[in-house]
Amino acid sequence: MTSGPIPILKIGSTLLATIQIELHDTIVDSFQNDALEEIERTGANGLIIDISALETVDSYVARMLANTAKMAKLMGAGTVIVGMRPAVAATLVRMGYFMDGIQTALSLEEGLELQASRLKSNTE
Amino acid sequence: MNYGKQPDYMAILKIDDDERKGRLAFFELTEEDFQRLRALKPFADRWTHEITEGLYELLMGQPESRVFFPDDATLSHVKKMQNSYFLGLFSANFDLGYVRDRLRVGATHERIGMPPKLYLGAYHRYLHLIHMKLVEHFNGNETEATKALSSIRKIIFFDMALAIDTYIAAYLETMTRHQAAIRELSTPVIKVHDRILLLPIVGTVDTQRAHQIMETVLLQVVEQQAKVMILDIAGVPVVDTKVADHILKTTAAVQLLGSQTILTGISASVARTVVQLGVEITRMHTRAKLSEGIELALSIVGKRITSKTSHGGEEVRP
Repeated sequence: MTSGPIPILKIGSTLLATIQIELHDTIVDSFQNDALEEIERTGANGLIIDISALETVDSYVARMLANTAKMAKLMGAGTVIVGMRPAVAATLVRMGYFMDGIQTALSLEEGLELQASRLKSNTE
Repeated sequence: MNYGKQPDYMAILKIDDDERKGRLAFFELTEEDFQRLRALKPFADRWTHEITEGLYELLMGQPESRVFFPDDATLSHVKKMQNSYFLGLFSANFDLGYVRDRLRVGATHERIGMPPKLYLGAYHRYLHLIHMKLVEHFNGNETEATKALSSIRKIIFFDMALAIDTYIAAYLETMTRHQAAIRELSTPVIKVHDRILLLPIVGTVDTQRAHQIMETVLLQVVEQQAKVMILDIAGVPVVDTKVADHILKTTAAVQLLGSQTILTGISASVARTVVQLGVEITRMHTRAKLSEGIELALSIVGKRITSKTSHGGEEVRP
């Protein structure tokens, strides 16, 4: 377990981070550190970031989340961002921020399915 | 006569007791007028029938206004109403109940489709008739007749203002309702299959509509947990950079939610324009026909359409 403001849980070989507080710059910085250290420590091969509780996501937070996903992928943990709210998606796109190359899913359940099917195709 | 259910025009026009007093003050209706009106009660009782008859002579004499009184029953009813309205003026009790009554009558006129010009024209005749009778009543004493007419005219203008306000409020209400209906019609999201939605876009897409489309699409995708959203643009006459950009943004936003879009209905001319304009649409699935889009959507959710038999379909009865 991490000691940061955002708990990161391990389910099987996947890490799950549910963000339930509004993200400030410092929190998102420490979240990135925690997530990457957890991947290193546990050897997890997947990371799911649930942002369904977030009503706003500014460009800095969006970039940090996207970067975290890219870094995690470098460490072998495919990342899925799940549960983005319609208003958040609309704002990001209007700001021209498309989060290219980042995997997303409608819900946590879908995110877990996505990870499971990826693991399956990896082992096949 | 059944007036039906009307909107609360007192609330719409924000008429409370302060507003009523303000209106009375603006039409310069004072206690003096009220007293004069009450003193004219015998005049009203004596002449109301003749004045009403004179008014309907005008209304029945013109083809445009005659159609509002199709039979004798209607005519005798409205004449009775007219008489009670006239007598009511001379009670000089212009409280909120009176105002509500005026609004109700105004709304009824609007609802049956009587144009304001007929309403105002009738009032003109009405005032003229009242004037004639006043002169007669005061035996040619012009000063008294003029004073009396002035008081009556004030309250009649007060009434006309209320009626015209209801006309305008009713028109605005209709317009707002139509606009809402148009807005709703312009983004009809259809559930094609489990977790597959379709939005046929018909007509010109301006910035405001594009925003609305994006908003609706995103909300529906999340609400119905749709895996695929098909945007069919066969009904969009011109696809320029702006429209393409809106579609691109909507697609990107849908992807952020964790879902996908398929763009269908792309004609040869649209394909040509899009490439010539240099719009980058490689990030989205595109298909020429809606049917192909639906097949692709089904394959995304792990389904497909197959033929039942090798020798064509069988008869299906309703």
